[in-house]
Parts: sequence; structure tokens; C-alpha cells
Amino acid sequence: MDQILNSLHYIKPEISAAIALSVLVIIDLIMGKNKKYLSIVMILGLLATTYFIIEQFGNSSFAFNSDSSKFGLLAVDSFGSFFKLLIILSSLIVVLFSITSYEIKKAKERLGEYYSLIWGMIIGMFFLVMSADLIVIYLALELLSLSSYVLAGITKDTLRNSEASLKYVIYGGVSSGIMLFGISILFGNTGTTNIYEINALFQTQQLQGLVVTLSALLIFAGIGFKISAAPFHFWTPDVYEGAPITITAYLSVASKAAGFALLLRFTKVTLIDSINTDGSWNLISLIDWKTFLIIISILTMTLGNFAALWQNNLKRLLAYSSIAHAGYILLGLIALSNEGLMAVMIYFVIYAIMNLGAFFVVMLIANKTGSEELDDYRGLGKVAPLLTVSLAIFLISLTGLPPTAGFIAKLYIFLALINSKMIIVAFIALLNTVVSLYYYVRVLKYMFLDKSEKEIAPIKINFANSILLIVLLIPTILLGIYFTPLVEFAKNSIALLGF
Amino acid sequence: MTESVLIKLALLILFLPLIGFIVTLLFGKRIKWLYWFENSILILAFLLSAVLAYFKLTHFTDQTLISEFEWINLGSIPFVKSIIIDLGIMLDNITVLMILTVNIVSLLVHIFSVGYMKGDKRYNRYFSYLGIFTFSMLGIVLTHNLLMMYVFWELVGLSSYLLIGFWYEKKTASDAAKKAFIVNRIGDIGMFLGILTLFLTYNTFSFDKIFYQISTGNLPFGTEFGLTVAGVLLFCGAIGKSAQFPLHVWLPDAMEGPTPVSALIHAATMVAAGVYFMIRVFPILSGDALLVIATIGALSAFIPATIAVTQNDIKKVLAYSTISQLGYMIMAIGVGAYTFAFFHLVTHAFFKAGLFLGSGSVIHSMHHEQDMTKMGGLRKKMPLTYITFLVASLALSGIPFTSGFLSKDGILAGTFAFGSLTGYWYFAAVGFIVAFLTAFYMFRAIIMTFHGKPKNKEKFEHAKESSFVMAMPLVVLSALSLFFWYSLNPFNPNEGKLLSSWIKTPEISVPQSARYEFMKTDDKIINKENLEEVTYSNSYTEAIHHAHYPTLFTSASLALLGILFAFIFYQWKVFDPNKFAEKLKPIYLLSFNKWYFDEIYYASFVAGTIGLSKIISMFDNKFIDGIVNGSALFTKNFSAFTGKFDNVVVDGLVNMMAYISGMFGLFFRRFQTGKVQTYILFVVFSLIILLYIFR
Repeated sequence: MDQILNSLHYIKPEISAAIALSVLVIIDLIMGKNKKYLSIVMILGLLATTYFIIEQFGNSSFAFNSDSSKFGLLAVDSFGSFFKLLIILSSLIVVLFSITSYEIKKAKERLGEYYSLIWGMIIGMFFLVMSADLIVIYLALELLSLSSYVLAGITKDTLRNSEASLKYVIYGGVSSGIMLFGISILFGNTGTTNIYEINALFQTQQLQGLVVTLSALLIFAGIGFKISAAPFHFWTPDVYEGAPITITAYLSVASKAAGFALLLRFTKVTLIDSINTDGSWNLISLIDWKTFLIIISILTMTLGNFAALWQNNLKRLLAYSSIAHAGYILLGLIALSNEGLMAVMIYFVIYAIMNLGAFFVVMLIANKTGSEELDDYRGLGKVAPLLTVSLAIFLISLTGLPPTAGFIAKLYIFLALINSKMIIVAFIALLNTVVSLYYYVRVLKYMFLDKSEKEIAPIKINFANSILLIVLLIPTILLGIYFTPLVEFAKNSIALLGF
Repeated sequence: MTESVLIKLALLILFLPLIGFIVTLLFGKRIKWLYWFENSILILAFLLSAVLAYFKLTHFTDQTLISEFEWINLGSIPFVKSIIIDLGIMLDNITVLMILTVNIVSLLVHIFSVGYMKGDKRYNRYFSYLGIFTFSMLGIVLTHNLLMMYVFWELVGLSSYLLIGFWYEKKTASDAAKKAFIVNRIGDIGMFLGILTLFLTYNTFSFDKIFYQISTGNLPFGTEFGLTVAGVLLFCGAIGKSAQFPLHVWLPDAMEGPTPVSALIHAATMVAAGVYFMIRVFPILSGDALLVIATIGALSAFIPATIAVTQNDIKKVLAYSTISQLGYMIMAIGVGAYTFAFFHLVTHAFFKAGLFLGSGSVIHSMHHEQDMTKMGGLRKKMPLTYITFLVASLALSGIPFTSGFLSKDGILAGTFAFGSLTGYWYFAAVGFIVAFLTAFYMFRAIIMTFHGKPKNKEKFEHAKESSFVMAMPLVVLSALSLFFWYSLNPFNPNEGKLLSSWIKTPEISVPQSARYEFMKTDDKIINKENLEEVTYSNSYTEAIHHAHYPTLFTSASLALLGILFAFIFYQWKVFDPNKFAEKLKPIYLLSFNKWYFDEIYYASFVAGTIGLSKIISMFDNKFIDGIVNGSALFTKNFSAFTGKFDNVVVDGLVNMMAYISGMFGLFFRRFQTGKVQTYILFVVFSLIILLYIFR
């Protein structure tokens, strides 16, 4: 009991989130049909939680230790705080998107549920990024998934919306089942669920390689589902296309960030043997995790990029692009070094900004035209200069061309790879980037070079939205020119508990 | 006032004009009065720079304040050295004085332009361009590293291009803008190579770090020659920007821009950036590099001075005089008269801006007439312009009691001392000849413009004194051309604070063996009179001191002689200048046609480029086609084969790549059936495969 009470101050952000969730539900009940204040309550809650996350930076300790063990259920460290901050800020941006989203406005009576489910996702993700125990990992993953299944179908207005939700549930259910299977095998063979203890056993005791491989692969199936890594990505295009665009953006950034945080922690804590002085990691020899990740990564980005070539729906295109980006981000992990870890974190910040920006523009355009089809983007460059130019910048950044932030993100990934002497993998990734250029630039061609057959009315956006757009645009360009603060921030946050 | 406050103040001064530029550019079309926003920003910047200069010069006289931050740190990169790039600013006495100079001239030109450009259809656009120029110029002044220097260097080049071609509807103006841009580019390539040389050697762009490295004996390519090469390459940038021989041809053409622009950019500030750059990198210039610099400077002082004597366009006269004066400054750096080079830069900025604005006032009232042969007698119509123009001309000619006298005398003393110490007397000789020529052509211009009888009655009748906004800058600038601002003794500049305590020759980083003899610090000699040890660098100061009075009298009398000659020829017409020109026809034509530089360049480089392309196309047409035709039969058969090859193999390969990419996509898309049960099947299958691989 003492342990629990002592640990409470380590989970202030989560407590704050839970309180915010309760307040939101209560206000929704009291206000009834009046949904005016919900967004404000939501934003205030997010800001309060942000404060507690920032306050938590620099902490490094276990929380909720069992009496006999020095390891706890949760690992509170800068690494977790970094990802929490990323998650909460992207939540804030997505909530701001939601205020203007036409789709969400249509489902206004469910706004209370919408926001509370977002809180559910946030709490799930928070626990996911700091979990040091397989049970907590599973619980957090389920909390995150269950909330997102409902959110994917929240508007209920189109068939594809409900279809997306249903597919997501079935697919997610199977994935977590597989993962649970892996967890149970691991538990059965080690007798513990704490990943630090499991690691200690891996290092000292002789376990069967096949057992470790099987359980690690099965657990990866659950994580791969979250980060939409091939071959566990099949749900992604369908769900991304069917879900409301705000949720699509959210899934592609926050949920993926949480999944990656889990994967990074799992790899660096469970499967590590030792860390060299130059910051590179030696993994345990029971499983060839590195080769496995290389295959997954190359498969993921190649598949994402090539499938994106044929997409004519912008949401679907961005879905495949986000699969491809998961592949690039995995490259940072493949480097198996602190430098690679830093590169992943840099990539995620930049990816969050540019991807949210791209989805925001698609949403604003869809608000007016009601379509995300590429055909309806013809000639938009003339009628909506701010929107289309912004989208162009976001897409160029997603491609990774200088002087945008996307270039810096890829640069650090490639540097880490080359420093780990994986030139061939870097070369394959480079070729992939070339392929991606095609489908990103194709959007620009539609917008700026093609002419629309029908007359399109100028698309005007209100002041608040243009400010939000510019707020996303500035870092996309600025971080391409002056990125030292971000690098420093990431460098200071790579400290994982225990290393 | 602490150091950090000063740094912040400097940054504020730097970015104010940028804000003015952005706001005026974005909203200038809609809001008509926005030029006042830009003007008030300049007023603010001027006041702040005065405050900055005051506190820097009084409270931090001997300190160099540097503020830098790490811009890029890529850590250690495989195959390359670690790349860390710092950006930052540096505040020393030269910086703050230069900022003040730039802001004063810029402010006055802004105010003058309010009157001069009135009624222009791109009025606000013009002011926004002035804003970006001021920003870029201040960037050059403040930077503490070569990278930012280069960036802002190109930015002033850009703003110069925009402003020369401001009236781009005029073919001559847009041509001149292009010429300025291209000619500058030639110099900049050299500068860029120089910067790269230093960066590759020292892995940093910062001045102080490079200087330190060199002073420890670490030289580019490990040789003194490498250092000389780096210095000369950097100097190439200054040759372009400061319009030095042989790249001076762009500056006279740049006079196509609005006259206030000529005053600000092509007389007072931007063209002086080259000199400023040389002042900044002075510590790393080896003796050989300095000699090259001095020679180029002397040529640039002399040739344009001879050209200015025969020109009839008032702005062209001033343009050539600018080149000539910049040549003075460059020559001064070359002979080691560092302090006087900067001093002349400052004084020249004021009186030359005054002259240009004065000529602008004349041109404005004469309805854009620039030909002096059509002017005359304007003295009575425009007394204020006349007096201010006269004062500034006296300063340019180096007549006592003016600022120009003080600074020019210093440079001449420097060349004289250089001659006495090294035996290279011709720099001093050139200096004196140019001093004479300067006085002559300036007063020729004054007499042709303001004295005598009006040549064009109609335009003369309409001419009237300029309005307050145009007259006020003239008065201020001519006041700044007087001596007492710089030294209370009109005959000795060294008594002023400026030279006695603010500007000092910096420590040289160049290895002893690569310096001029007299700049070496380790070789001591015994002064014969006092029998005390003095260093050679002291001996240079000593020599300048000794040269001071002789040069003072010589230069003043040469200037007076020049003025006298001008009066003899053009006012009293004792000799008819036309007859004189007839007698010295070859020389006259050489001067009148600007030594045929444009023609030579056209005949060699431009025609060469065109000719080369013609030869290549001829080679293509005659030779290649000939071979092709000659072997027509073979080709015919062969082409059938190659055609097939092309269609099938080459196109096939290209198409195949695209096709394969597409097929890949289709293949991957095939999995996306939309049926969730197949997805799950795929997942389970792939897990089994993966397990099989990694078992």
C-alpha cells in the first residue's frame, strides 16, 4: 500500500488525464444538448496534463514496485516524458482540428463521447510508453485499442465509417490475442512479467532460442499492429480511409508514437546484452532481432511506398505514406545505437508536425468540397493558394527534401545507419525515398498544373484555421534550417531507465 | 548597459529593417502610407545605433563582444570531419561605427527618396527594397563568421540587383542590373573558394577561430603560399563588390538605378562592403596578398580617375570617382594603413552620398536630365544644393578643413611611409596624381553644372530648389563632410578620438616570415636618435608620422592646383578644353571611351563565349554532320539496328523500371482485399514464415 501511495506522484500526468476525463463526462451529462463548452474543457485538461508532463522531465525511477523487487510496473524516465509530450501536443492539435472538422460537427451529439474516448486513448498511450511490465503493456495496449476502435466509427454517418470500425476491432482483437499468446509463453518460461527481470534472465540463464524467438515474434505482432509495420499493416489503409479524418491523423501520429515508444523500450530493455562506450548496443544472441527488424523495415517502407503509387484518394495515400514512414523510423532502431534512438525521436517530432499538417489541409479542403479524391484536387492551386502551398510544403517535407524539416529527420536516420555501417540498408531506404517522391509530387501536379473541368469556388478558411496552419507550417520549414534545439532536446531525452 | 544588452541592441538594429521590408512588401500594395512605416523604422534604427555606438565606444572601448550560438552540429559524420557551424555577431569599435554610418546614410536616403520617388507607381516596393538592403548590409557589418558574411554578401547583391533594375521597363536598367549581378558573381566565386579553403583547413567559419589557428602556425595547405592564395581569393569578392579593376565595369552602368539608390548602395555602403571585408580579414592577409591588393587598389584609383575627367554624365563622373576612392581605400589596406582605410570609408560614405543626393536634386529639378553639357548656371536657381554639393566636392578633393582632407591625407601618408620603408614608391605617386585628378574632375563637374550660362533654357526655367525632405539630407551630409566631427585639429586626424583611441590596427595572425618587413614584430632595430628599441610596426607609425606634413602640403597644393586647372579650362576658358582634347586625341579618346573596357570584355569574354558556342555548333553542323552524311549508307543500316535497340532495349529498360514499380504497387495492392479474414490469414502466414526463418 505504501508503495502505491508513494508511487502516485510519478503518475501525475495520468491522474490529471483521468480527472480531466471525469470532469468532461460530468459536464457532458450536466449540459445535456449544449456541447459548447466541451472543447474548452478538453483543451484545458490537455494543457493541465501538459504542465504535469513537463514537470516530470528529468525524473528517473520505477513506480509501483512490488515488495520483493527493485523493478516496478512503470518506468518513469525522460524517454517516456518525451513521448508523452509528443502525444499530448498532437492530441491538442487534433482537438483543435476537431473543432472545425465538418465530419465531427455532423456527429455533434456524440462530441462528449468523442472527447472522452480521446482521453481514453491518451491514458492508454501514457501507460504504454512507461510500462515496464508485460501485463501493463497489454492493459495499456487494450485501453488504447478499445478507445480507438470506437473512435474510428464515431460518426456512423457512412457505411465505410462503420466498416472501418468493425475491421479495426476484428483485426485488433486477433493481434492482441497473438500478442497475449507471446506474453504467456514468455511468462511461462521465465516466471516473471517484468521486462527488466526477463532481461536479467536472458543474460544469465540458458533459455531455448526457439522459445525466445517465438514469444518475441508474437509480441511484435501486437506492436507491429500499432505501428502498422508490414506484414501487420493490413488494417491501416481501410481504417485510415474510413475513419473521420481527425482520428486518422491521430492514429497516424500519436498511436504510432506510443507503439514505437513501446518497441524501443522493449528492444532496449528486454533484448539488450550490453552497451558499448560509443553508444551502440549489443543484443542478446538468442534471437537475431536485428535481421528481423531489417526485414520488417525494408518490407514496410517498400510496401508502403509502392502501394501509395496507385492511390487516388488522398487519405488512403497518406495512410500508405504513414506505413512507409514507419519503415523509415524502424531504420533508426535498426542502427541499434543511442544515436539511432535519438534519430527516431527527432524523426517523430518532425513527422508529427508535417503529417498532422498534411491531414489538416486535406480536412480543410474536404470540409468545403466534401471529397478527398485526387481528381477533385485539380486546379485547386488557383482557388486556395494558402492551403495548396501549405500542402505542397508538407508533402515535400514528407518526401524529405531540403530545406524542410523532413530532410533533417531523414538525415539523422541515415547518419545513424551509416555510423552503424549499414550502407546497403541506407541505400535501399534512399531508393524508397525516390519512389515516394513520385506520389507526393503527383498531388502537386494535380493541384497546380492540371485544370479543373468544372468551375470551383474559392476556398476561404477562417482566421483561426490559417493561424493553426501557419503554426504547423513554421516548424516544418524552420526545423529544416535551424534544428539544433530539437537535436539537443532529443539528445537529452534518450535516457531510458536503467541505461 | 551590460554586454548582453549591447548584443541584444545590435540584434534589434539588425532585424528592424527586415521587419520593415516584410511589412512594406506584403501590405505595400494596399496601404499607401506604409512607406512612413519603413521610414520610422529607420529613424528608430538610427537612434538605437547611436545609443549602441555611444555605449560601446565609451564603456567597452577595448573589448570585442562576441555572441554566437551553435547553428548546426552534425556530430561526426562518416568519411567527413565533424561539422559544427556557429552563427553569431561580433561587436567591436569598427562594427558600431560602421552600423552608425550605414544607418545615417540609409535614413537620409530614405528621407530623400520620399521626395525624389514621389509619384512612382511602385513607391512602397521601392522602400521595402531599401529595407532589405539595409538589413543585409547590417548583416555584413555585424557577422563574426565567413558563412554569414557570404550569405549577406549575396543578399546585398540581390537587393542591388533589384534596385538597379527598379525601373525594369527600361532596357538599359534591366541590362545594367543583369550586368552588375553577373560581374559580381565572378568575384564571388573567388570569395567562395577562399571561404571553402579556410573552412576545409580550419573546420570553422568564425573569424576569431580562424585567426587564432593561423597565429599558431596552422596554414592552408601547410604553406605560406596557401595563405596568400586564400587571402587573394577572399579579395576577389571585394574586387567584385567594391568595383575594383578589372571588375569595375558594372558600377557606372549601375547608375541606371534611381539616384538615391546610387547614393546609398553604389557610393556609400554596399560598394564599401568590399573594403569592410578586407578590414575584417586584415589579420590573415600575408605580405604578398597585401601587395596584390595594393596594386589592384592603385590601378582602380588611377584608371577611373582618368576616365572621370572626360565624362559628361554627372552620375557617371560620380560613379568613376567612387571607384577611384574605393581604390584608395583598398590601396590603403594593401600598404598597411588599416586605420586610414576605415577612416576614409566613413568620411567618403558621407560626402559621396551627399554628392549623389546633390546630383539627384539637380536631376530631379532638371526633369531627369543627367548630361552636364545641357546644364549650367544652376547656382542661382538652386543655392542650397550648390553649397552642399560644393562642400562635399571640397571634401572629395581633399581641401583642408574637410573630412576628406583628413582621411585622404592619412592614406597618402601611409603610401608615402610604405614607399620609404619598402621602396615601392609608385603607390604614393599614384595617390598624388589621383588627388590632383579628383580635384580637377569634381570642379569641372561643378562648373559645368552650376556655373556659367544655362545651356538648356527651357529646362533651366523650370528648375527650382528642392523641397525640404530632399534638401535636409543634403545639409546634414555636407555638415558631416566637415573636419570637426572627426578631429578638432583640421590638420591632424590623429588627434581625434576616432583614430587615437577607437580604431587600432589589429594584431596580425600571419606568420612572421610571410609578413611585410616592417610588420614583423620579432625583428628589432635600434632607433638612431633615441637609441631605444623599436619594432618595425612602430617604425611604420613613425614613418607615417614623418610623412604627415610633407604629404599634407603636397596633396593640398595638388588639389588646389586641380581646382585651378578646372577653373582655367571651364570657368575662365583660358584654354578651350575641346581644342585641348583635339590635340591629345588618343588620350582623350582612351579616357572618354573608358579605356575600352566594355569593348574589350565584349570582344573577348562575351564574344568569346558566343564564339565558342558558335564553333561548337559549327563543329556539330559541319564536322559531325559531315561524318554522318559521309557514312550515310552505313548509318542507314546501322540506324535500323540501333533504332530497334533503342526502342526495344533502352526504352524497354526505362519503361520496364516504371512498369516494375507499378507492378510492385499493384502486387502489394492485391493483398488489400478489403476482407478482414484474409488480412488475418496473411498475418498468421507471415508469422509462420518469419518463425521459420528465425527459428
